Amino acid sequence: MDFSLSDDQLMLQQNARQFFTAQRGTRPARKAMEGDVASTKALWKQMAELGYPAITIAEAFGGAGEGFLSLVPVLEEAGRVLAPGPLPETVGFAVPLLTRLGTQAQKQQYLQGIADGSEIVTLAFYESSCDAFAGQATVTAERTAAGFRLNGQKVLVPNADLATALIVLARTTAGPAGEGLSLFIVDPKASGVQMRLQRPMDQTRPLFAVSFEQTEVGEEALIGPLDEGWTAAEEALRTLAVSLSVLSVGAMDACVEQSAEYAKTRVQFGQPIGRFQAVKHRIVDMKVNLETARSLTYYAAWALEEGSSDRHVAAADAKSFTAQAFVRVANANIQNHGGMGFTWEAEPHLYAKRAKAWENYIGSPEAHLDYIAAAQGW
Amino acid sequence: MDFSYTPQEEEFRAELRAWLKENLPPGWLEGNHKLPEDPKEEEAFLRAWQHKLADGHWAGVSWPKEYGGRGASLIEQVIYEEEMARVDAPPQVNAIGIGMIGPTIIALGTEEQKKRYVPKILNAEEVWCQGYSEPNAGSDLAALTTRATLEGDHWVVNGQKIWTSYAHLADRCFLLLRTKENPQNKHDGLTCLLVDMHQPGVEPRPIHQMNDHRDFNETFFNNAIVPKDEVLGEVNNGWYAAVVLLSFERVSVANVAFRLQQAYDGLLAYCKRHERNGRPLIQDPLVRNRLAGYHARVHAAKLNFYRNLTRQIKTGRPGPEGSMDKLYCSELLKELNGYAVSLQGAQGELWQDAEEEGKWQEEYLSSFAMTIAGGTSEIQKNIIAERMLGLPKDIKY
Ligand SMILES: Cc1cc2nc3c(=O)[nH]c(=O)nc-3n(C[C@H](O)[C@H](O)[C@H](O)COP(=O)(O)OP(=O)(O)OC[C@H]3O[C@@H](n4cnc5c(N)ncnc54)[C@H](O)[C@@H]3O)c2cc1C
Repeated sequence: MDFSLSDDQLMLQQNARQFFTAQRGTRPARKAMEGDVASTKALWKQMAELGYPAITIAEAFGGAGEGFLSLVPVLEEAGRVLAPGPLPETVGFAVPLLTRLGTQAQKQQYLQGIADGSEIVTLAFYESSCDAFAGQATVTAERTAAGFRLNGQKVLVPNADLATALIVLARTTAGPAGEGLSLFIVDPKASGVQMRLQRPMDQTRPLFAVSFEQTEVGEEALIGPLDEGWTAAEEALRTLAVSLSVLSVGAMDACVEQSAEYAKTRVQFGQPIGRFQAVKHRIVDMKVNLETARSLTYYAAWALEEGSSDRHVAAADAKSFTAQAFVRVANANIQNHGGMGFTWEAEPHLYAKRAKAWENYIGSPEAHLDYIAAAQGW
Repeated sequence: MDFSYTPQEEEFRAELRAWLKENLPPGWLEGNHKLPEDPKEEEAFLRAWQHKLADGHWAGVSWPKEYGGRGASLIEQVIYEEEMARVDAPPQVNAIGIGMIGPTIIALGTEEQKKRYVPKILNAEEVWCQGYSEPNAGSDLAALTTRATLEGDHWVVNGQKIWTSYAHLADRCFLLLRTKENPQNKHDGLTCLLVDMHQPGVEPRPIHQMNDHRDFNETFFNNAIVPKDEVLGEVNNGWYAAVVLLSFERVSVANVAFRLQQAYDGLLAYCKRHERNGRPLIQDPLVRNRLAGYHARVHAAKLNFYRNLTRQIKTGRPGPEGSMDKLYCSELLKELNGYAVSLQGAQGELWQDAEEEGKWQEEYLSSFAMTIAGGTSEIQKNIIAERMLGLPKDIKY
């Protein structure tokens, strides 16, 4: 038994910590809040130069060929500063999906591109009657002579303005929820693609409604087998769920650190407020939430890397617990800061908004709990 | 025990309802509750609304008739809050003046002060702010260091306040500060001054809040001038006046209790209207369970409040029970608004573009203030522990 990061992984963590500290913490996130896409692009470029998006990409396509666990330290550090950009969608979804199901040509274009920073991929899954996005896909992809024609609208597409490719879940054959769906990788600049900003609560992460009107894509846009897109997506969505959990753990770590630091320095009634057990114990509760989320998340990451049989349940454990714990921790962080916590300038609200945004992203906690129950055979 | 209202109280309610129907801004009752986006227009809108309320004698209903109020009983005040919450009436720009500062001036002011200030409060001719908190004196209010020295016929004020709600709109400030060189303890030597905000020595700087509003301020006093007689109560005995003012804050808890009811009603309507995974939310067993829980807890919030009110009517004074109402209602409101956002599923992460025009996101983000402003939840718990249960006090310096 060894439940710790390896020396290499720890080094990667130090490296990432230094990098994000040099970016002045949440400064890139705040730039993104102001709508500065160029700054997010520049950050992405630097991350690519450091090899972060390439960690789990095979060496044949310019990656480091590492397992998912090696991504953990980088994601955790990115989460601490709420680094903007579709990092989880790219490394947590597109990379495992394409690695498993991409054609040689797709791998060459996209995996290679992600590794060298030229491709940034996001997810166009949700539709306006959303929630369980499995079933409700009404965006259609009809067969044409040369490939497919897309029509319909997706919503809540993160960073569509920055992305060079969208992975779209579309209906190719009529059928019940989860069947007759296929995955396509689409250039957002293709004809008939339009996007409109949907103003998000977590402004570090702009969201878009993306509509397709007679958008023609070639045969090579199809990822994996026709009509089996949902099954294909599900496995990668687990990796995404765990990636989001790792990022959240990093963010929670920042919240705990902020609260502890504030409680040591903020003086009221002639003493640091951390001496009041109301404050002290609340920070301890935050810490316990954090470490519990971290245990579940690291385990899920290990299970994914090993391909162990309980990896789906482990991912659901991690996502359901972490999503809720993050909200609790981030909200407590505001309360610990008193009036300061209610301001825009102070850090806590950024984390509280991210926590709320990710609570239901890629499935609500209840949906993940349902999955756990079903997987136990109950 | 009797939960009914007297015919006179019902008449009060009917009169208010009729007035609101006539006088709420156009479209308000039909559900258009948007305030103007431009801050200047918003201010003008709010001042006009408050002026209208005052003309109808519906601003400051608790105030004595001779000061333009209605001399409303505690029960009537509660009916008033309930009705205003029911229609989600626009806020009163001078809420602090009406709720706390006016009543304090009426209680402790000189005849001259009452004549000069009180008539201009109800119609928002003069908007007031409350200058208590400082960067290093929040929960520990008595640690404040802003000070005034007497020079001839006026006070000279220096220091900084923070979180001063509406200071940027305010014409006057109820300012708590130090006036004594060597106080015996930190509650000694404080004084309340009534300060003109329109002078070079006073500079409010709005602070950006997490809900993207800019309602509170840092307020700087740099050799600000206050005429010598603009002291409320006694010089060096300002803690007393400060506490009298805070005792009026308690009634405003009624407002939160009814906002809770509003929020619950809105949430229920939402669950009936919206489907998730192919069925109305209200039919989802998990949602039913949560909602039913809120049904009980919101009802309880009002009952707690009514029971406390009864005690207050009988004893004639507010007590630490007000802290329990504040604690319970503000924590519950925050939780309920959070649940409303969760119920929107993935789309809950939108803000202005979320369902119902982002109303729940706005409420959720704003409700983080409720457990901080007016004494944090932890401070309320200390009051309950020490004053109701006689538990030993924290060691404070
Ligand atoms: C929206 C809003 C509007 C406001 N409007 C006004 C206004 O108009 N005028 C005005 O004067 N002030 C106003 N305030 C200020 C408000 O009264 C203070 O923010 C509040 O009293 C807390 O003080 P603080 O911010 O300094 O936090 P702190 O006192 O520093 O508290 C930080 C944390 O420590 C905890 N803590 C502190 N002391 C203890 C203790 N003894 N035991 C246990 N825990 C403790 C607190 O509960 C909190 O969690 C407003 C605040 C807000 C958020």
